[in-house]
Amino acid sequence: MEHIRNFCIIAHIDHGKSTLADRLIQHCGGVEERAFRDQILDSMDIERERGITIKSNTITLPYTAKNGKTYELNLIDTPGHVDFSHEVRRSLMSCEGALLLVDASQGVEAQTVANLYLALEYDLEIIPVINKVDLPSADPDRVREEIDSDLGLDPFAAVLCSAKTGLGVDDVLEAIVEHLPPPKGDANAPTQALVFDAQYDIYRGVVMLCRVKEGFLRKGQELLLMHTQKTYHIEELGLLRLQRMPQKELGPGSVGYVICGVKSVRDITIGDTLTLVDNPAPKPLPGYKEAKPVVFSSMYPMASDDYGDLVKALDKLALNDAALTYEKDSSAALGFGFRCGFLGLLHLEVVQERLEREYDLSLLLSAPSVSYKVNLKTGEQVEIDNPMYFPDPTEIESTEEPYIKASILIPERYIGAMMELCRERRGENTVFRYLTRERVDLTSEMPLAEVLFDFYDRLKTLTQGYGSFDYEITDYRISDLVKVDILVNGEPVDALSQLAHRDRARPRALHYCEKLAETIPKQQFKIAIQGVIGGKVIARSTINAFRKDVTAKCYGGDITRKRKLIEKQKEGKKRMKMVGAVEIPQTAFIAVLKSDSGK
Amino acid sequence: MAAPGTPAAPRGAPGLYVHVPFCSAICPYCDFAVQVGNDVKARQLVDGLCREIETVAEPWRLLVAGPSTAAPFDSLYFGGGTPSFLGTDGLGRILDHLRQHLPVDDDARLFFEANPEDVTPRSLAAWRHLGVDTLSLGVQSFDDATLAFLGRRHRAEDAHQAVAMARQAGFCTLSIDLMYGLPGQSEDSWRRTLEQATALQPDHLSCYELEIHRRTTFGKRYAKGQLHPMPDDQQADLFVTTHRWLEDNGYLGYEISNFARSPRHRSRHNRKYWDHTPYLGIGPSAHSFAGNRRWWNEPSFATWKRHLDQGNSAKAGEEILQPHDLTLERLMLALRTRRGIDLQEIRETYGCDLMQLNAERIEHYVTAGLLRHEEACLRPTLQGWIVADSLAAGLSVQG
Repeated sequence: MEHIRNFCIIAHIDHGKSTLADRLIQHCGGVEERAFRDQILDSMDIERERGITIKSNTITLPYTAKNGKTYELNLIDTPGHVDFSHEVRRSLMSCEGALLLVDASQGVEAQTVANLYLALEYDLEIIPVINKVDLPSADPDRVREEIDSDLGLDPFAAVLCSAKTGLGVDDVLEAIVEHLPPPKGDANAPTQALVFDAQYDIYRGVVMLCRVKEGFLRKGQELLLMHTQKTYHIEELGLLRLQRMPQKELGPGSVGYVICGVKSVRDITIGDTLTLVDNPAPKPLPGYKEAKPVVFSSMYPMASDDYGDLVKALDKLALNDAALTYEKDSSAALGFGFRCGFLGLLHLEVVQERLEREYDLSLLLSAPSVSYKVNLKTGEQVEIDNPMYFPDPTEIESTEEPYIKASILIPERYIGAMMELCRERRGENTVFRYLTRERVDLTSEMPLAEVLFDFYDRLKTLTQGYGSFDYEITDYRISDLVKVDILVNGEPVDALSQLAHRDRARPRALHYCEKLAETIPKQQFKIAIQGVIGGKVIARSTINAFRKDVTAKCYGGDITRKRKLIEKQKEGKKRMKMVGAVEIPQTAFIAVLKSDSGK
Repeated sequence: MAAPGTPAAPRGAPGLYVHVPFCSAICPYCDFAVQVGNDVKARQLVDGLCREIETVAEPWRLLVAGPSTAAPFDSLYFGGGTPSFLGTDGLGRILDHLRQHLPVDDDARLFFEANPEDVTPRSLAAWRHLGVDTLSLGVQSFDDATLAFLGRRHRAEDAHQAVAMARQAGFCTLSIDLMYGLPGQSEDSWRRTLEQATALQPDHLSCYELEIHRRTTFGKRYAKGQLHPMPDDQQADLFVTTHRWLEDNGYLGYEISNFARSPRHRSRHNRKYWDHTPYLGIGPSAHSFAGNRRWWNEPSFATWKRHLDQGNSAKAGEEILQPHDLTLERLMLALRTRRGIDLQEIRETYGCDLMQLNAERIEHYVTAGLLRHEEACLRPTLQGWIVADSLAAGLSVQG
């Protein structure tokens, strides 16, 4: 155990986490040169393309230190995005220490702070690492100052490195061995191991990643999952070195994998504790918290024939994504689909992209919504995340919406602009404090719905890229909510209905009407588009009819050519959704929902 | 009843089309396979047509000859181009040849297209003598400026005289072709042409909107920004004006561009293009159709002639129509006619139950005033006619 070090790297997006991981792996010979590729721990295409980590991953690296001893370094790679903070938490629970990576020119950012607090919550030893020191714009002295003032860490403990060039990677490895504590654990105590993530292997089923805290796990043992109370037989366990390396046992302090015939990640809960049926631990490890979806959207296949394929795709995807929830849903406009729950907008995008890319589906998503609480006059409270089920206003006593506490780090010169953005987004109790003379930590209590859409983009634009943002959901507050419906020639397009604060309803409805008017092609008749609350029209736009679509002559020589033209038109129509008599192309739904700038 | 999706083999007697690819000059809007002709080419054409008749006679007989399909041609149509280029002798030779090699009904109608400047008492007498029943005159307009713009070789006065003379000559059906929807054309100006046309009491009118095709002179001028086509909206307005005005004056539109004084003056030949009756086309670029096949000749006169000279077929291409192609064509063509879509015919002949397939959309089109559902037919309204292609596309989409 003395020679084990379990650590993770926490960093703001783009500060070089994956590159540093790559370098550490290469340095320890964790992978052959020819098998190496950048961002090696990110196995999904979408992770590699977007430069983000979605799933946690882990790798065991053998490292011979300058003191001549060989160590087993377990690097637990964690997602950086706020949507996946539950995965971050569980990864942190499996570590004794963390490298806190800070970009030498960007400095400390909101997520760095948020992740540091998380790490401190779990009593992790922190090594600050200042990365990208090779860049001309690098300013390690300033960053040291920020590490002191923003993070309250010892600036002199900071290691300087450049993951890109490999400079200082030695020092990082030595710091891990020297400054991070080895794991503690009692080899003779009843077994306790934390499941911090799970992967799905099409041949082997679920592969649980776990950290053994006490006791041993051995091949062939009967396993008990303490939260689900299910038992399994350990088929295989071992260490992860990009490939799985089977072992006979995993002892206290180790990080590895367990395969025990679980069919789907939904059958287990991440954060659960493994123990043995024969000699169970008295209680599970602390910190188990269910990941609850916060963003909801309905997903429909563009071609109704593809519904069956969507069912299969979701079932498959869900094998590997326990946080995704989905249940059957149907829309008059869009047919059968699923109401899905996501951890956040990035999670939503990732799921959509994977379904479209890996399962070749063309999808349509309804406007994302948060989960609202509706207090009925009967005294009952219902949770509504789907506008379709919003009760009749006459039955409603009051409505509540979820609030977040946003933490925004910006250079001092953008305070005015950011205060204005927060006000625009119904921010309350917006306050700021100076971290240094130039840097400000601004906090604001805002409705979650207001930051769902383009808040982050707007923040980045307003601060010319210097601002950063993190949030946590705090509570529900009374709020005046209305349901806005969009009618096309009098027919409601249910997929475009949404719940909004009364003050925001009109601009949003107007935006929808205008976007639809731009994107729905002219048809054989005039089309009226309206945004309504109850029966009251609050926004409208019109599409004029096209007048002529026929050619004067059609004799022997014209027929084939004309048929082909109409065939094309017909193919185009197949890709449209009929709402009443009006054909709405997929592009119109996409344009409306995409450009939803939270107006 | 035929198998679903295959039109009943013969639907009445087939029609025969002869294409004459020559004109004295090429009109700037024309995108047909035509070239400037002369006497030598005219003789070569007649020779070629005679040879083609010999060549196609046997395959045609085999193709359409089922037990019930021995029906002879009951319409012979000479179009172009300018059929008068054939000359009286040439026309006579071709007719003899046709009757000799192909089954032609004794009562077959003979259709002939001509330009006003070709009409003389002598030519009229000759055409009558050869049995022309329906004479179609390419008048296009009764306005001299318009005629000049269209590059026509006659003036309004010539048209008047030609129509009057032809009327005298006693054809069963006298038809006039007109064009509208021209750049800058006013409704008044078009109405004056209509007034003058109907004053001459033709039996039949074809009124075509100007379409600008890329490879024509007009198309090239349009590409250079020198020609500004009438906007669709205005063309649509003129379309409505034309149908209303002609109907008020005794000419009912039985197809998008065709009007007749009485049902018996409706074109027996053109109908065949619209309802999948077999037709045989000879001459350069001519199209033929029978059952589920459509084929077409070499469009270039020289190539067409060379093939025939070498004893080969002049066919340039062919398509086999799948059941859904046939259905789509039938819908598209039926929607161009006043009668519209006969639901029973579509169901029984094409195996397509429209009311089951597309009831909702049909209802929307009816509500929007584009179709009328009456007497087991879906009839286009005037507004529906203007967007007939999109209706065909809509009706053929499932759900």
